[in-house]
Amino acid sequence: MMEQLKFRKFGRHAFLIDWKSKIDEIILDEILTVNNYISENFSEEIIETVSAYHSLAIYLKRDININSFIEKVKKSYTFMSKDMPAKKNYIITIPVCYEVEYAPDILSVASSHDHSIFEVIKLHTQTLYKVYFLGFLPGFPYLGGLDKRLYTPRKKKPRQNIVKGSIGIGGKQTGIYTVDSPGGWNIIGRSPLQFFNTAASQPTVINNGDYIKFVSISKKQYLKLDTSIKNGNYNIEKEAYND
Amino acid sequence: MIEVLSAGLYTTIQDIGRFGYRKYGVPLSGFMDSYSALLANQLVGNNYDCALMEITLSGPQLKFSSDTVIAITGAGFSPTLNNVEIPLNSLLKVNKNSVLKFGMASYGLLAYLSVSGGFNTEKILGSYSYYRDITSNSKIIKGDLLKISPTKRTYSISNVLVKTEKAHFNSRIIEVYKGCEFDLIRGGNKEELYDINFTISSESNRMAYLLKGNKKFSAKEIITAPVQPGTVQLTPSGQFIILMRDCQTTGGYARVFQLTDRAINRIAQKRGGESILFKLK
Repeated sequence: MMEQLKFRKFGRHAFLIDWKSKIDEIILDEILTVNNYISENFSEEIIETVSAYHSLAIYLKRDININSFIEKVKKSYTFMSKDMPAKKNYIITIPVCYEVEYAPDILSVASSHDHSIFEVIKLHTQTLYKVYFLGFLPGFPYLGGLDKRLYTPRKKKPRQNIVKGSIGIGGKQTGIYTVDSPGGWNIIGRSPLQFFNTAASQPTVINNGDYIKFVSISKKQYLKLDTSIKNGNYNIEKEAYND
Repeated sequence: MIEVLSAGLYTTIQDIGRFGYRKYGVPLSGFMDSYSALLANQLVGNNYDCALMEITLSGPQLKFSSDTVIAITGAGFSPTLNNVEIPLNSLLKVNKNSVLKFGMASYGLLAYLSVSGGFNTEKILGSYSYYRDITSNSKIIKGDLLKISPTKRTYSISNVLVKTEKAHFNSRIIEVYKGCEFDLIRGGNKEELYDINFTISSESNRMAYLLKGNKKFSAKEIITAPVQPGTVQLTPSGQFIILMRDCQTTGGYARVFQLTDRAINRIAQKRGGESILFKLK
């Protein structure tokens, strides 16, 4: 796999490792494996890394010579690639209330596809979504796997504020507004979970490489969960994922 | 403690940034002009990463509840202490109950106020830098009481002014490296990019500076990929966007240039309407 990687400087204190320019779960697994390896073996030299669909950015400490560091990483790869352990991933269950009160656009999404609301919920909850990376907003997951029958163009006029926890569809993507934000996606539900918590050392619930499963809940269950979460009496449903 | 009597146009607390959380989609934030910010910290003997106040164009009025030592660097404000004009780029003693007023900047955009010991506002995810979704406040407002870390440092106050680089405010040259998608630029001879007078749009902010001036060049969108402060994006409609300290961690526009560190600091001080010229480093 290493032969295809492209190393490019990204300013003078960062570089990118780029894979083939496409969105693909196999590429993601490679990125996360390499990310893990670099993060663990070069913690002296690097500040942090950011991964995206087909690219890994490595931000270096200011006193590190970028050219010799890139060479060092390249060499170390060639020898080590076989031994790199894969990242451990989880399936995370996200309860979502799809009732109209929390889903202002579910009717229009349904009618634009000649679906019933129940079909929209069924199509949205039957997929195991892959988390490619976090970006756009703190904790916002870029998810792969939305059913083609739910592809819906973004709204012509974005909303000024979308309440955190809202689940949206924008074009070929579905995602979760993890914090309050303006946005143009069609809102089809809301989850009571806290997706981003600055008080925790690990501020996000969802991480790259994980899988997400949405589960439909009633408004009554939503309110009950919301109370439990606010009182700190809720543990997120999470199980290890084995290929 | 410092009491905010009036907040100014856009005043925040910043340090060197929120490192280590970009993988969660948390922006880096931090000093827009780290050249001026580091000087402010240096003058009062703070560590380079100490939190200080970043002041934009029209400054605040502040009241000090204890004796301290401060320095002001950056844009051309004419600050007064108890209505007496005080110099920039110098160490200043401030007595309890003094009132510091900034007024308007005559050149540049951002000033930095350092206080001996540094600001000790809430520290979230390893940083004091204000950011909308992270800290409880996104900017300073009237009535805020800002804590200062105590220090036992002693000072010998002299009237020495530190000389700053003139070009930092005067030069319109913005040095760049070619970006990852430089080759995606369409619309003409790329050499011309270094001859265009781009004007900074007044819609610019801590997230991004937008450039006006030329819509001849464009680039197609890319698969969303990492971006950082100083990344210059080019949209399919021909808009150049220079990402600044509060930018997102990833983006879907072609990354056509990357500013040098010095260029980021320099452009941070440009106002809407000022022009710049890219120069290949």
